Order: sequence, then structure tokens, then C-alpha cells
Amino acid sequence: MESKLTFETIKCGDKLPTVKQHLSQEDIWHFAVGSLDMNPVHCSPDWCRTSQVFGIPETVQHGQMTLSLLTKVITNWAYSSGGMMKTFEAKLIKPVPVGSTCTYGGEVSELHPVKKGKDFVAVELWALDQDGEKVAVGKAQVTIP
Amino acid sequence: MDYLQEMAKYYTTQKQKEFYHDFLDPKQIDGLEFWDEIQIGEESEIPIKFEVKAEDLKAFAASVPDDNPIFYDEEYARQCGHDGIVAHPLFVTQIRFFLLQGGGHGSWNRTPGARNPGQIIEYYDPIRVGDILTLKLTSYDKWIKRGKYYMRALSQIYDQYGNLKMRYFSTLILPRTKADVLRFLKGEHGLEA
Repeated sequence: MESKLTFETIKCGDKLPTVKQHLSQEDIWHFAVGSLDMNPVHCSPDWCRTSQVFGIPETVQHGQMTLSLLTKVITNWAYSSGGMMKTFEAKLIKPVPVGSTCTYGGEVSELHPVKKGKDFVAVELWALDQDGEKVAVGKAQVTIP
Repeated sequence: MDYLQEMAKYYTTQKQKEFYHDFLDPKQIDGLEFWDEIQIGEESEIPIKFEVKAEDLKAFAASVPDDNPIFYDEEYARQCGHDGIVAHPLFVTQIRFFLLQGGGHGSWNRTPGARNPGQIIEYYDPIRVGDILTLKLTSYDKWIKRGKYYMRALSQIYDQYGNLKMRYFSTLILPRTKADVLRFLKGEHGLEA
């Protein structure tokens, strides 16, 4: 197990390790089955060629998959130390077409010393595509034991 | 390409095998609730329940993909301070799609042409293996912005003891009417903006 994260060791401005993920159609199908969101805008390349929900003739990553990868930044960082998400909110800025490679990251923005076991931090989250354009932003509050 | 056959290669759980997969089936479109029909303030207690099995939690985490052992290894998760394998923060996605597959109130999330602009989740109590979850659903808000038709629902998820597990404000941009959805069903673009 890695060294344990504690509230006392966290500082505003701490950068969390990033997550990088390439997106294939197989990845999308796998997430569709895991989430049970089998909407054709993600799953059917044939349907997307003509319907163009996002104005492009390709399937796109589930918004919920983008959010799941944003929260992976948190779970990688804090969950092995007993951390848990308290709140999460995120905005999806642009679609992530199949074939994209995105990087997900975060930075501690607030410390909330409440009491031992209830202390929490806020983390600003972001996702960039391979061109450096933001595809999503978010904020999570994370309880740190 | 038959995408439903391609997806079937990934089924591992009982719920995945029993789920109604075809979001383009014309028969299911008749059961959907459309943006122009949504009544703000309408509440439903969804009659079916979601019994949380380890295979459900593991299948979601694997699909993210996230190989952190806290999602798979009970002993490791306990060593990390959790009380069993952990539910991924977005596991609520699987819960809602499973519970809302029957049509009627809340069926917008199966709408061909729906878009996801962002979400808000508040966590109150961890989801654990063995929980039997129920969903109280409220049509919370709908609005028009830059020609797009938004709707927001509040999902409150409870366990079998009445403990509130989470509150989830889910937002979607939807085709406005059934006629717009039927255009999508034929593979045509059906959004006004």
C-alpha cells in the first residue's frame, strides 16, 4: 500500500497525479455495458454517421465516462487512504469523439478543517483533449480521514 | 455492424444480461416521456429495486476503466479504511439506467438524441454489497437556453433501512417532442440547436 494521505499533509495548490486515457470504440462499448447506457450516440457508428447528434459523424464518449475518468483522479489519490467523495459536480464542455486521447487532472483548492474524520478538501478537476482543449471541468469535495 | 452483438461480448453480470438493450426499438419509444410532456414537480417511487452485488460494482469499475483494487478486493478495501469493496463514484449511472428501463417517468435517459451537459451528486452513505436500493425520482426543472431543451431530475437513492445514500441532480438536453425523437430513430438529426 502507498504512503497514507492525511488531511494534515495536504496543501492548497497540491496537484493530483493525472490520468491519461485513449478512447476506442471497444472502450465505449465496454462502458455502455458497465453503465447500462446503450444510447446509439455512443454505441452505433452507423447511426451516428447520419444522425450527427453532436454535429459530427462519429460516436462520442459517454458524458458519464468522462465524469468517471475525472473522478478516477480522486479515487487514485485518496481512496486507498480511506478518502471518500462528499460531493461532485461537473460540466461537460465539448464532446469526446472516438479516437481521442484525454488527460484528466486536479488541484486542491480548499481545505475544510471540520473535525477528525469529517475534515474535507475541495479539488478543482479538468479534462483536456489531445489538442489541449478543455472537454470538462468539475469540483469534488473529498473527506480525508 | 451489429453494435448490440459487439456489446454483448462485454456482458458479465446478471443485470447486464437481463437489461433491455435496444434504445432504438420503436416499441420502447412509445413508452418514453418526452421533454414537452415533463411535469415539473412530478414525483415517483420507482417500483423495482436494485440489489447491489459485488459483480455489479466490479463490472462498473472495470468499464471506466479503473483497476484500483479498492473496487475489487474486499480485504484490500478494508485495509484502506472502507467497509468492503467500494462503489465507484459514478456507479449511480448503472443504478438509474437499470431502475428506469421500464418506460414512463424518468425514461428520458434512454432517449436517442439526448446530450449530457453536466451532473451534480451528493454522497451521504456509501453503497455496499447487499444493499437493496430504491429510487425516488422528481422532475426538478426544465428550461430553454440558446435553442436547447434542458431538463433536470432529482434522484434520491435509499437503502432497505430508509437511509439516504445519495442525491443526484441529473441534467440532459433532449429532443423537444416525440416527432423529434422519431426523426432520430430513423437516423436523421432531430435537434433544433
